[in-house]
Amino acid sequence: MTNKSKQRAKTEISFIVNGEPKTVRAYTMERLLDVLRQQLELTGTKEGCGEGECGSCSVLLDGMLVNSCLIPVLQAEGANIVTIEGVAAGDTLHLLQQTFLEHGGAQCGICTPGMILAATHLLNEKPAPTLEEIREGLSGNLCRCTGYSQIVEAVAEASRRKAIA
Amino acid sequence: MRSHPSDFEMIAPGSLHAVVSLLTREPGMWLPIAGGTDVMVQYAAGMLPSRKLVSIWNLPELRRIEVTASEIQIGAGYTYTDLRNHDIVRREFPLLHTAARWTGGIANQNRGTIGGNIVNASPAADSLPALLVYDAELILVSVRGERRVPYASFHTGYKKTLLAADELVQAICLPRRFAEHFGYARKVGARNSQAISKVCIAALGKVSNGVVEEIRIALGSIAPVPLRLAETEQAVKGKAIDSDLLLLAKRAAAAEIRPIDDIRSSARYRAAVAGNLVAEFLNRLGAAFAETGEARDFLVRWNRLPVDKAISLILSCCGSKAWAHGVVSRRPLADEAALLAASHDAWSSLAHADWNEAFETHPRIGESRASQASPQSVEWSAEEQRNVQQSESGVQKALADANREYERRFNRIFIICATGKSATEILEILRRRLKNDAATELHEAAEQQRQITHIRLKKWLQ
Amino acid sequence: MSSDSIIGKSVPRQEGRDKVTGRSQYVDDMVLPNMLFGATVRSRIPRGRIKRITFGAGIAWDEFVIVSAKDIPGKNCIALIGDDQPCLASECVNHPEEPILLLAHPDRCLLPKAVEAVAIEYEPLPAIFTMEESERLSEIVWGADNIFKTYLIEKGEVDDVWEKAAYMVEGEYTTGAQEQLYIENNGMIAAFEAAQGITVWGSLQCPYYIHKALMALCNLPAEKVRVVQMETGGAFGGKEEYPSMIAAHAALLAIKSGKPVKIIYDRMEDMAATTKRHPSRTRHRTALSKDGMILGGEIDFTIDGGAYATLSSVVLSRGAIHAGGPYYWPNIRIRAKAVATNAPPHGAFRGFGAPQSLFAMERHMDRIAQAVGLSPVEIRRRNFLHPGQSTTTEQVVREPIDLPKLLDRALELSDYRSRKNRFANENNASTSRKGIGIAAFLHGAGFTGSGERYLSSVVGVEGCADGTLRVLVSSTEFGQGTKTVLSQIAAQALRLPYEKVSVAQADTLEVPNSGPTVASRTVMVVGKLVQSAALGIKQTLISSKLLKDDYTAGEFSVACQEYVVTHGQFRSWSRYEPPADVFWDDEKYRGEAYAAFAWAVYVAAVTVDLTTYSVAVDDFVALQEVGKVLHPLLARGQIIGGVAQGIGFSLYEKVVWQNGRMRNSQMTNYIIPASTDLPPIRVFFEELGNVHGAYGAKGIGELPMDGPAPAIVNAVSEALGVQFDSIPLLPEDIMESLASEESTADSSGKIG
Repeated sequence: MTNKSKQRAKTEISFIVNGEPKTVRAYTMERLLDVLRQQLELTGTKEGCGEGECGSCSVLLDGMLVNSCLIPVLQAEGANIVTIEGVAAGDTLHLLQQTFLEHGGAQCGICTPGMILAATHLLNEKPAPTLEEIREGLSGNLCRCTGYSQIVEAVAEASRRKAIA
Repeated sequence: MRSHPSDFEMIAPGSLHAVVSLLTREPGMWLPIAGGTDVMVQYAAGMLPSRKLVSIWNLPELRRIEVTASEIQIGAGYTYTDLRNHDIVRREFPLLHTAARWTGGIANQNRGTIGGNIVNASPAADSLPALLVYDAELILVSVRGERRVPYASFHTGYKKTLLAADELVQAICLPRRFAEHFGYARKVGARNSQAISKVCIAALGKVSNGVVEEIRIALGSIAPVPLRLAETEQAVKGKAIDSDLLLLAKRAAAAEIRPIDDIRSSARYRAAVAGNLVAEFLNRLGAAFAETGEARDFLVRWNRLPVDKAISLILSCCGSKAWAHGVVSRRPLADEAALLAASHDAWSSLAHADWNEAFETHPRIGESRASQASPQSVEWSAEEQRNVQQSESGVQKALADANREYERRFNRIFIICATGKSATEILEILRRRLKNDAATELHEAAEQQRQITHIRLKKWLQ
Repeated sequence: MSSDSIIGKSVPRQEGRDKVTGRSQYVDDMVLPNMLFGATVRSRIPRGRIKRITFGAGIAWDEFVIVSAKDIPGKNCIALIGDDQPCLASECVNHPEEPILLLAHPDRCLLPKAVEAVAIEYEPLPAIFTMEESERLSEIVWGADNIFKTYLIEKGEVDDVWEKAAYMVEGEYTTGAQEQLYIENNGMIAAFEAAQGITVWGSLQCPYYIHKALMALCNLPAEKVRVVQMETGGAFGGKEEYPSMIAAHAALLAIKSGKPVKIIYDRMEDMAATTKRHPSRTRHRTALSKDGMILGGEIDFTIDGGAYATLSSVVLSRGAIHAGGPYYWPNIRIRAKAVATNAPPHGAFRGFGAPQSLFAMERHMDRIAQAVGLSPVEIRRRNFLHPGQSTTTEQVVREPIDLPKLLDRALELSDYRSRKNRFANENNASTSRKGIGIAAFLHGAGFTGSGERYLSSVVGVEGCADGTLRVLVSSTEFGQGTKTVLSQIAAQALRLPYEKVSVAQADTLEVPNSGPTVASRTVMVVGKLVQSAALGIKQTLISSKLLKDDYTAGEFSVACQEYVVTHGQFRSWSRYEPPADVFWDDEKYRGEAYAAFAWAVYVAAVTVDLTTYSVAVDDFVALQEVGKVLHPLLARGQIIGGVAQGIGFSLYEKVVWQNGRMRNSQMTNYIIPASTDLPPIRVFFEELGNVHGAYGAKGIGELPMDGPAPAIVNAVSEALGVQFDSIPLLPEDIMESLASEESTADSSGKIG
C-alpha cells in the first residue's frame, strides 16, 4: 500500500521558458530537467548521467549556464530559462547552430543541445575566446563522438563571424 | 532518477532569519540546500536520507561579499563564478580564485557555493585547502546569534563539522595580509577539468634573508579532513631552500598525511604525489624570491623612465607604436600580471593600421630578418621559429612557397605564434588560413600577434 | 557526367538541422498513450542458484506488472549466434546484474524503490573473474571447459624458425575492459496488439538482430514483429547486441500488460549491466634474423567473454586475424581463444578485437626494436607487407599500398625526427619527460571471410511520388553519417542533386535487411548496393521510355512521378554478390579475410609529468589510406572521434571490478577525456581506391580505434625508458613503475 499520508502536495511554480511565461504544477523537488521534458514537452534537453557530469541537460537560467538535472524546480521560481528550443529565432538558426552544421559539430546529436547552450553562454561572457578558453568553456559538456575538435572549430568560427558582423 | 519527488518537500522562506528560525523550531528535520550540486546528486542516486529541504539559494544575506581594510567576508552563498569574477579575490586570494576555477565545469561553478563546499565537508573539496592557508574564520549563525570560529577547527572528522543542528555558515572571513606571499595551488585529478581531486594543495610562503620565513601548506584528499601540514611546516621553517630541504619536506609530508585507497586512486600514489607537490612548491618558492627581486627592480626602473625611452624599450615585444603608447600610459605597472593586463587592454583598442605596423616587424616564417625589427626582436623571432629552422628541407620549401602565396593574397606577411608548433603544423595552419576571406584573416593574424606579444613580454621581464 | 561531383564534397548532414535545434526524436522523447515504465530486477551475486523471491512490504504490488521467465511465450533466450544467454534468469544466475524479473508501473519514479524491495535469496556458487582463473578450470562456469571458441591460424612452418633465429623476443600485453559510454543511455519502447504483433522503438544499431531475437522469444512470425530505430545518441558497438535484451524485456511487459512499455536505463544501470570491450591478453614469441627481419612467431590471443557467448566468437575472429599487424610473417601460429568468466557478457565496441591484438603487436614491435638494436622506425620499415606478399591468413596484398612511404609521410607530418632529437636533449629537465611513439596497423572492412556472403544484404531505392529518391536500408544513423553518405551515393549514381535524396527511417516494416550497422561495412558494402539499386531505378525509367540517357534533374523528377502514377510503388532492389575473387576457408581459417584493408600510421607526442605521473598527449597525427574519402568533414570527424576514444582507452578509462561487478559505474568515476584533455588531432588521408567499395571507399569507422593506444604507450615507454605493456596506463601505474625502477633494474624482452 503506498503510504499516501507521506506524500506531498504539488505546488504551482511560474517561470519564463524561451520567452513565454509558464506555470506548472509540480512537486517542489522535481528536477527542472524532468519538468521541462515531461510537463512542458521540451524534449530537446537531455539526461545523460543525472549527476551533473555530462552537461547534456544544460540550459540557461537567468543567463547562467546550469545543469538542469541538479536544479529542484522550486528554485527556478521566477527564473528566465532558455532551452535549445529557444535558441533559434523561429526558422532562422542561431549563428552557433549554423557553424555547428558547417563544421561537423554534431554527430549523434545527443550532447548537441547542451553543447550549443554552453557555447552560447561562453560567447556571451567572452565574445572573442581563445581556443583554450573555448575548451575550458565546454569542459563540463562531454562528447563521445567528435573528440571535440570540430565543436571547438564551430565555436571559434561563430565568434569570428560575430566580431566581423 | 532513483528518488520519488513526492517523498520530498522543499521550501524557500526567502530570508536568512526565516531559515535559522526554522532550523531552531524543527531541529534536525530540514536540510539546507544552496546550489544543490552535491545534494541533488545524492537525491538522484536514491541516497538522500533527508526528506525535507530548505532552500538557501540566492539569499541576499548569504550571496554577498564585504570588503574592509583588514579582511574580506565572503557570504556562504557566493558561487564559484562569483569568486572568479571578484577582483580582490583574484588579486589577493589567488589560491581561492584558482580553486574556484577548478571546481567542476562552468555550469557547476555557476551553482556551487563556497558554503556548500565547506559544509559538505568532503576531504576532496577543492577550495578547503586554500581556506586553511589563508587563516579563514567562519561566521556561524543561528537564532542565538553569530559566532566566529577558526576554520582550522571546523572539521572534526570525516564529513563531521562543528556546525550545530540549528546553525548555518553565514560567511567566510579572510584576513587581507597575504598579498606579499608567494602562492601555489595545484590540483591533481583524473583529467584536466571536472574531476574529483586525487590530491590537491594550496600553499603560501615567504623567504627572507635566504631562509623560509613563513610557510603554510594544506592538502586535500590525503586525510579524512583537509589537512594543514603543521609538522612539515615546522621542519622547513627557518631553513634555506636547497635540494636537501626538498627531500626533507617530502619525507615529512609523507609521514604527516593519511591517504587511503579508494575508487579513484591509491594511498601510495597520493603519498608520492603529495610529496612531489610539496617539493614543487618549495622549489618555486625559492625561485620566486630569487627572481622576483630582479624582475621587480626592472619593472620599477622602467616605470620611472621618460615616455619615449619606455616606449622604445617595449617595442621589441610588439612593433605597434600605438600599442606601446597604450601600455606606457598605464604605468606604473606593479608586476607581470599588471603588465600583461595593460598589454591586453592596449591591444584591444588598436586600429587595423596599428596591427599592420606590428606585423611588419616580424620576419617571414622560415627567414631570419624583417626590415623593421629591433635586434632583440630578431633574437626572439629566431627562438620562436626554432622548430621551423630545424625541420626537413621539403617542409621548409613548402613553407616558403605558401608564405609567398599568402603575401600575394593578403599583401602582408603571414603572422603566427610559432612557439611550440612544429613546422608541419605551421604549414597546415597557413594553408587553412589561405582560404580565409580578408576580414577573417586580419582578425586571425591579430590574435596571433597578441599571443606573440604576450610571450615576449614575459621574456622581456627576465 | 556533371563535373560537380557530390562524392568528395562535405554536403550538409541529412538530419543535422534537427540535431542542432533539439528536434530529433530519441527514444526517451517519445510518449505513447497509457504508457507504462519498465525496470529490471537484477542479480546481486556473480553466480548461484535462485532459491526464493520475496516481494517486500511498503510497495503496492497490485499496481505493478510483474514478468518472470515463466511469462516468456517462446524460447527464453536472446537469439544471437549461440542461444545460451537467457532473457530472464530462472534457476540460476551467472553474472552480477543478470536480469531476473521485470516490473512495470505508470509512475516512473516508483520503480527504483520497487526494484529494491524485491528480495532474492540465492545459494551462491564459486565464481571466477579473470582469464587465468578460467583457464585453470578450478570452476567450470560454461560448457565443458569454460571456452566459448578457439581459432588456429597457421602459416608456413613455425616450429622450424627458432633454431635459425638470431633473436627471440617475448612479451605479454594486456588490455582492460572499456565502456562505450554513448551519451544517450539505452532505451526501448514496446507495444503489443494481438492483430499486429509486437512493435518496438528504440536506440539501436541493428533492427534485424532485434527482429530475429523477438521472433524466437515471443514465438511470433516475421510479419508480426516490427522494429523501428529512433534517433540514436551514440552507439560504437554498445548498441549492437544488447538492445535485443531490452527490446525483449519491454516486449514481455507489453504483452503481459496490454499497454505500451518504456524502459530507459539510467547511467549507473547502463554502465554496470550492459556490454563492454573484451579484456584481452596477448602473448608474443617472435624469431628474428640478425637484420631484424621476422622469421616467424607464435601469438597467443585470449579474450574474456564474460558469462555468455554472445558475440565473443566474432570478436575473437577479428582479433586473431589482425594479430600479426601490417607485417610480413613467413611463418606464424596464432592460437586464439575466448573464455568465460562470471562478469556481465562483454560485447561489441568499435574495433571489435583488433584494438586489443594490435595494441600487443605494436608494443611488441617496439620491444623487438630495442632487443635487436634498431629504431622503432627501421624495424617496421624492414618488416612491412609489400604488394604481392601474403598476410597471416595468406591473403595476398593486391593493391599498390606503399607502407614505407606512408610511414615516411607520417614521420614528416609529425616532425618525428627533430622532435625525437629535441626530446633526447631536453629530457634531462627534472619535472617532465617527453616522448614520441608510432603505431602502424591495418583494419579489414566488412564482415570477416564468408560473413558478407552469409548476411546476403538487400538494399532498396524508391522513386517517390514527388519525384525524389528514398533509400531503404536497415543500416542505421548514430552520428557516423550513414544517412548523409548513402544519400550522396544515390545522388551521385543518378546525377541528381543531393537534396533530392533521403533515407527512410530504419523500420523493419519498410526497409529490407541490409545487414547490421557494424564492422565498418556501411559505406563500403551497403553503399555499393545503394549505388546499384539506384541505377536500377534509372534503368527502369529508361527502359519504360520515360527518360533519355542524358537527362536533367528536372526530367528525372517528372519521369519518376509519371512512373508512380502509372505503376504505383516504384522500388528497385539490389542484393549482395560476393566478389568472384575473394575466397575464405572457414575450416582452415585461411584466405581472403576481408575484401579490403585500410592502412594507417599514427604518431603520438606525449609529455609525462613527473610530479603527478600523468600523461598529456601534446600532438597526434593520424594518417590513413582509406580507398576514397566520400565526405571530408564526416571522415575527419570519424577519425578524430575514434582517436579520442583510443586516447581514453589508453590513458583514462578503467573499469574497477569487484566480484564481477563494475564498481565505478558513474560518469564521476569512469573518466573519459573532456575538451581540455585532448590536443587538436591532425588527420590526413591517402586514397588508393577500392574495387569492392562504393566509389572506391573502404570502411573507416573502426580503424582509428586501433592506433592511439600503442602509439601513446610506445611514446610513454620511450620517454621514461620503462616498458609498459598494459592499458589503461594510469598515473598510479606509472608511479609504481618508476618507484620500483628506483630499486630494481627493468628487464625487457629476452634476447636469444
